[in-house]
Amino acid sequence: MTGLGLRYSTRQGEVRALRDVSFDLARGEALGLVGESGCGKTSLAKSLMRLLPDNARPAGGEVLLDGEGLLSLPEEEMRRVRWRRISLVFQAAMNSLDPVYRVGQQVLEAIEAHGVEETVASARARVARLFRLVGLDPRVMERYPHELSGGMRQRVVIAMALSCDPDIVIADEPTTALDVIVQDRILRELKAIQGQLGISIIYITHDMAVVAEVTDRVGVMYAGRLVELGETAAVFRSPLHPYTEALMSSFPSVSGEKRRLASLSGEPPDLADPPSGCAFHPRCAYATALCREQSPPRVGRGGQWAECWHPLDPAAVPVDPA
Amino acid sequence: MAGYLLRRVSQMILTLFLILTVTFVLVQAQPGDYASFYALNPDLPPDVREQMRATFGLDRPVWEQYLIHMRNTVTGNFGVSFGHFPRPVLDVLAERLPRTIVLFVSATAVSFYVGFLLGKAIAWRRGGILEYAATISGTALFTAFTPAFALMMIWIFAFRLGWLPVGKFLDPLVWRDADVSSTSVFSLMLLTAAAFLAFASLVSFASRRSQRIGGRRSAVPLLLAGALVLALAWYLSGIGNLALDILRHMILPVATLTLISFAGTMLLTRNSMLETVREDFVMAARAKGLPDAQVRDRHAARNALLPVVTSLIYSLVFAIDGSVIVESVFSWPGIGLTLLEAVRTEDLPLVMGAIVFIGFLSLLAHLVVDVLYACLDPRIRYR
Repeated sequence: MTGLGLRYSTRQGEVRALRDVSFDLARGEALGLVGESGCGKTSLAKSLMRLLPDNARPAGGEVLLDGEGLLSLPEEEMRRVRWRRISLVFQAAMNSLDPVYRVGQQVLEAIEAHGVEETVASARARVARLFRLVGLDPRVMERYPHELSGGMRQRVVIAMALSCDPDIVIADEPTTALDVIVQDRILRELKAIQGQLGISIIYITHDMAVVAEVTDRVGVMYAGRLVELGETAAVFRSPLHPYTEALMSSFPSVSGEKRRLASLSGEPPDLADPPSGCAFHPRCAYATALCREQSPPRVGRGGQWAECWHPLDPAAVPVDPA
Repeated sequence: MAGYLLRRVSQMILTLFLILTVTFVLVQAQPGDYASFYALNPDLPPDVREQMRATFGLDRPVWEQYLIHMRNTVTGNFGVSFGHFPRPVLDVLAERLPRTIVLFVSATAVSFYVGFLLGKAIAWRRGGILEYAATISGTALFTAFTPAFALMMIWIFAFRLGWLPVGKFLDPLVWRDADVSSTSVFSLMLLTAAAFLAFASLVSFASRRSQRIGGRRSAVPLLLAGALVLALAWYLSGIGNLALDILRHMILPVATLTLISFAGTMLLTRNSMLETVREDFVMAARAKGLPDAQVRDRHAARNALLPVVTSLIYSLVFAIDGSVIVESVFSWPGIGLTLLEAVRTEDLPLVMGAIVFIGFLSLLAHLVVDVLYACLDPRIRYR
């Protein structure tokens, strides 16, 4: 995915939800995307699957899946890419299941639409297998969404996402609506399934703990831009961008020393009218006149990079954003 | 479900009891003495007068007459109609009621279907020519004055163009040499429709149980074949032209009723659909890579249907109410026209019978829609 941009036209004018976001995803890799609400995480997920509302307009960039450009595909071919190649675990499991059909039927429907199985019997057997994989009794297939608990629904949604053997699963806040214990169990299972099936997962979340637990690499988003990207361990050990540091210090660490949790003051910027220069400068402790006036360069260290005038590690050197 | 039905039916009986009481009070409250109107009417032969007196207890006090009225209703004894003398009221109603039910059930079904399809289409593709055309014409027709519009339809299609009969249930010229009664032909037609519906539901059930994915055959040829067999049976029976004559007489009233009322369902469906398409599960359906039509019909429209079905109750009641107007404009000899005639000729037994049956019909329609709703929405389980 390179240089992806996205604009929403709204009554308040044009909102630039994504600005020149680029990253790549290897087979079998787990990538985390973190950021505050409204920073463009979900817009990014929808752009990848081309599920945007009518007022959204892609503004440049390209999504390449095995070398094939998705943004220019005809609708009918894109339909076949959805779920078969890229599937989605929705953030609100209750609302993403249709209330009038049995949950098994809703998984079956995807399998039928893509012709993954030949007969209804084999498709049902596949659904039963998937349900067992995510820790559900296959008899749950015959239940309606309102008869299930939040955790069960989330498992159904995960089973649904895996139903057509996708290459990439985008998990958009997969566990936000659940209590911590269920959340943890589901994340572990998802990670195990990922290893078992060799799929790539993009975790979209605002929860740094989730990122630390399940991802290989992490990207930090701010105001529609990717501001830092690197190996999860490296980013956690020594972030380059002040925003990343601020995000991390707002979460408690179990093993680390006792410290006061810092909360980041201020609001994320209005994307209809983003600040000049570095979008983070109004909230940044290190901001200078330079940050207000000019867009920051990309600086890096090893495989990790950030877009900042004053990276937290002075050893970071400017890198070519290619 | 059984317990729910039982409770609903007992509620219905209570409501029916109230309807009967109100009807009785209304008739009693009329100016002039109800009892003496019959008992002293010199137009009636003395033996009939005597029989009436005994049936309705006309020489008894009012409260006793009320009890007799209740007993008569329960035992189905509504007395003898004056206008159709000497036929019993029940006999007249049994002939007229199916005609009303068929006319209004078909009109309601057609207008609901048309309204739902249009509403679905204009909500899915906003801002097209279809949306403007359907909304403007639909609203204009919806607000039209029913009798004037019905007369205009008759004037255009029956009088100027001559495509359809002006009114009435049948054409006497066609029926002059027929040796079957229109009622029995009509009953046969109802039977045919019921048989076809049963066949269609069987076919759709069977096709849903098909085990192959992708290679599912369409049920349409099979349904066409079924329809053809039934049509052939009618053709060979020799009374096919009579059935056709009744059908021809139904077209204009059904079309008029549809045109007048489809906009209600259409606008309701449109609004409901606009709400539903914003739901996450509709986006989930698209994300699953389902074809556009499947997302629209199986998910968006299927959920948008629920609040629209609730409105079906009102349109059914409206249809039954409106039967008086529509039937008299089209001279359709159903229960509405019967009621109007009976009121005009002071045929009180028939008035009472007709009102009781209209009330009963409304209650029944209500129950049917409630049960239908429970079938459509799994979240609703009546207890």
